[in-house]
Amino acid sequence: MRTRRWFLRTSGLAVGVLGTSQVWLKPASAQERASRKVLVAILQRGAADGLNVVAPFFEKRYYQLRPSIAVQMPSQQQGFGGIDLDGKFAFHQVLQPLKPLWDARQLAIVHAAGSPDTSRSHFDAQAFMESGTAGKTTEDGWLNRALPRVTQNTSPLRGVAVGATLPLALRGERSTVAVDDLAKFQIGSGASPILEKLYARSNDPQLKGQAGGMFDAVRRIESIRQQPYSPANGAIYQGTFGTRLMQLARLIKSDVGVEVAFVDFDGWDHHSNENGQLGGILGEFGRGLSSFARDLGDRMADAVVVTMSEFGRTAAENGTGGTDHGHGGVMMVLGGSVKGGSIFGKWPGLEPEQLFEGRDLAVTTDYRDVLAELVRVHLGQDPDQVFPGYKAGPPLGLLRTA
Amino acid sequence: MRRIALAATCITLIATGTQSSTAAGRYDVALAPARQAAHVLNRAAFGPRPSDLAEIRRIGVERWIRQQLDPATIPDSTVLTAKLAPLATQKLATWQIFETYQPPLQQIRMATPNINQLLQPDQFRRLYNGASEERRAVIEGLSPEVRQQVLALVPPNVLDALPELRQQAERARQIQNEIRNREMLEQQRKQRPPLNELLTPEQARDLQFGTTDEKMAVLNSFSSEKRTLVFRSLPAQQVPDMFKREAIAAVNPRQAVVAELIEGKLQRAVYSPRQLEEVLVDFWLNHFNVFSGKNTVGMLLASYERDAIRPYVFGRFRDMLLATARHPAMLSYLDNFQSRSAPENAPTPGGVVIVGVSAGVPNQGLNENYGRELLELHTLGVNGGYTQADVINVARAFTGWTIFDPQRYGEFQFNPQMHDRAEKVVLGQKFPRGGGESEGVKIIDMLATHPSTARFISRKLAQRFVADDPPQALVDRMAATFTKTGGDLRAVMETLLLSREFMSEGAWQAKVKTPFELVASALRALDADVADTTALAQRLSEMGMPLYGRVDPAGYPNTAEAWSGSAGLLARINFANALTTGLISGVKADATALASQGVRHVLTDLTGSEPAAETVAAIEQGASGEKPNPNIIAGAIIASPDFQKR
Repeated sequence: MRTRRWFLRTSGLAVGVLGTSQVWLKPASAQERASRKVLVAILQRGAADGLNVVAPFFEKRYYQLRPSIAVQMPSQQQGFGGIDLDGKFAFHQVLQPLKPLWDARQLAIVHAAGSPDTSRSHFDAQAFMESGTAGKTTEDGWLNRALPRVTQNTSPLRGVAVGATLPLALRGERSTVAVDDLAKFQIGSGASPILEKLYARSNDPQLKGQAGGMFDAVRRIESIRQQPYSPANGAIYQGTFGTRLMQLARLIKSDVGVEVAFVDFDGWDHHSNENGQLGGILGEFGRGLSSFARDLGDRMADAVVVTMSEFGRTAAENGTGGTDHGHGGVMMVLGGSVKGGSIFGKWPGLEPEQLFEGRDLAVTTDYRDVLAELVRVHLGQDPDQVFPGYKAGPPLGLLRTA
Repeated sequence: MRRIALAATCITLIATGTQSSTAAGRYDVALAPARQAAHVLNRAAFGPRPSDLAEIRRIGVERWIRQQLDPATIPDSTVLTAKLAPLATQKLATWQIFETYQPPLQQIRMATPNINQLLQPDQFRRLYNGASEERRAVIEGLSPEVRQQVLALVPPNVLDALPELRQQAERARQIQNEIRNREMLEQQRKQRPPLNELLTPEQARDLQFGTTDEKMAVLNSFSSEKRTLVFRSLPAQQVPDMFKREAIAAVNPRQAVVAELIEGKLQRAVYSPRQLEEVLVDFWLNHFNVFSGKNTVGMLLASYERDAIRPYVFGRFRDMLLATARHPAMLSYLDNFQSRSAPENAPTPGGVVIVGVSAGVPNQGLNENYGRELLELHTLGVNGGYTQADVINVARAFTGWTIFDPQRYGEFQFNPQMHDRAEKVVLGQKFPRGGGESEGVKIIDMLATHPSTARFISRKLAQRFVADDPPQALVDRMAATFTKTGGDLRAVMETLLLSREFMSEGAWQAKVKTPFELVASALRALDADVADTTALAQRLSEMGMPLYGRVDPAGYPNTAEAWSGSAGLLARINFANALTTGLISGVKADATALASQGVRHVLTDLTGSEPAAETVAAIEQGASGEKPNPNIIAGAIIASPDFQKR
């Protein structure tokens, strides 16, 4: 029996700060600097079309299945055709900003990755993916479980979602927050000190505890908020997705103790006119990731970014120039410790008998195998705790372990 | 003595101790009389308004409860009627809503031809199923124009072994794409012309930099058609409040429909004199949750709330259950409208079995979603005594319960072609072969009278109205009433509201307000004037409770652990501050009357007991030891931990 109870047991700060606090944030302690590793999970909501994000141009079938929407073969002409990655696969042409990361071997791709779940329902599949399962929605999310239990000096910002609400992936036992816009972090109300006193004396233990964590997090962010932010290395952020990544970069670089982060990006569900629609959103996606890496600069050595989508799309185009809900898709992993410049996973092929249910790219790598490796190697946490009931297969070797 | 404008709810700023854990669970101790009025208004209403406390104290709590249980006896509020009048969709039938609020882009898409429209049936058959020579003949027999269109639309495999035609098809597809794109761009330009074609430089300047009055003057000088075009390109911040809803409707008509729903819900919560009815509509809509963002549910919700929920909140549970089972909003949300029988169980006349995948319909067969949620969430409850086999068989029984033209009419239709006619067993009851629509109705009857349902529903109601972990004795009595009266919800509510457990110290301040309850109670406490709810709706989203926006079929939770997290706690504090400093557009709330009354008096009057001295001091003295202004006092009260409870 499925359970679909989503309990909000964690903090989700949408806005706000104390206007009158005079406690300045102290710089990161040695302990904090030692554990600066960050795992950033990005969920492309709407089922991103992996076959057009990383196109298998070596497959004749690809062009037969998608006569009008396939990514064109890489060509000498500038700006025309896909971007050759390894002689077999190519980036969609708008992902040019990610090519340098690929060439610098900081970006890895896992193709035909995804969940064994077959619901093909956005809502369900996203919930399962955020739960870290393949068919069940749990009360808490995998990213919340990936945080170590409370230790001393646990930062209230160790689990951050950039956006208005706290996603399921980050909900759970560990206290996590949703931060929307750092610049808007102010109450400006003289009532804050009164409220802090009232909440501290409340005889409702839950309210009291949560409020304490909240005022703390808000204090941590206040000194960041007061300084204007300039992305490093000339990074330029545009659009909703870019802005979210900028907020995150700012938080990470301010050493407030971010350990895991979640950013989502909606709008990949193009059942029609994929030619017109994919370029826009994919371009924003690529530019955002590229700017984030550029902005983080040296700190990318401590960061791992993983992207995923709840499922892929049909191998063949449909009658309206689009694609429908599919199965396998593309995951990307970026970071200084990533063994980039390679495409991981077993390519299942596009012949009719090789397609899942005769229509979709098959899944040959369970998404949890990718995440389990990142959790274990990068965060040093036990994947069995993060994905209970799932035995991860052998690691793909996405991260350098030295 | 003038009553204070801030008739806040039960703020037990007796923070130090009588409302301690010893009171929790003390359902045998009667609630102090001074607290009863505030308590009832916090539970059976969305919080007290200034006039309510006096009214209840005048007529007595029991009489007020009985009035609320019989809302037909309560006269309409002229204020509310006036506020609901402009909300056209609330009175429209679903098909009228579709017609009026068709999004612009949809109209462009629907013009693309279907290959079936271009070919005669026998041409179609020969093209798709004939030998290659036949197929070539069909193509070459078409007029050049139709040939181009057909070549562009056929799937690649149709042109197997016909290489020249494939090349032509590729070219034709490219041309068709170009044509389509050009047409789309043209349409888009027509529907969304750039601002510099619509506005003179003076008008553009006024809209960007002018005062509200100047903006209004410009917009009022346009016809409504022209305004629609302007709103499609005008940045949101340049739109004055009075035009905000029109601006939404211009860009995204469907979003405007949902915005009207939200407006109606908030206005009713604040202004309706039939408060218990509104609280119950909120409860039952949540119990039979649907998500406005799925498919076309947003367009179906006005009818759902008006026709499938509201009429039954004081009626029979079975009737509401059947109404929701049939309603297109539920059929769409839980996918039942696409659920169809396995082919062998639904033979069509003439014995032809219809199969086939249509693009975008992933399930060719049974969809268990509704069957499961009907048992797990709507009636028996997850431990109510059903098996996975029951889930499947209930789903089979409801195949065929579908929607007529979901994109344009959205009405219930039973489709026998989709219905599973084979024999099935549900909860031990056999349904013989050949059943039809009546199978689903019989199952509704079975579930509505099942003892687990009586317990499940009673417990949920007690959880909403009494405490997160309600006293079992009360739940049992409610369940007994439920069963004895055949699911009469008014009788069950009477049992609940007149029980000693309801009016006990154990129930006092035992619940945490959901964001919606917080917002409604704050507006009522401040006797606010709500002209437009767009900003309020946005705040509710930020607090984690977008109205009609719950994706999970279980609806929004009602317990402290769900809402007392600092999720939204900061958003609540910001809301309180914004509300009391006039920063929520569309809402006017005045706290200045507080100043003349004094904090101690306000709190005494509102809680029915003397507040602790430190609490009064904390509020009065504020941060720097000086008396803060009344807005800050009001903001502090609404943001305080005790105002978060009810």
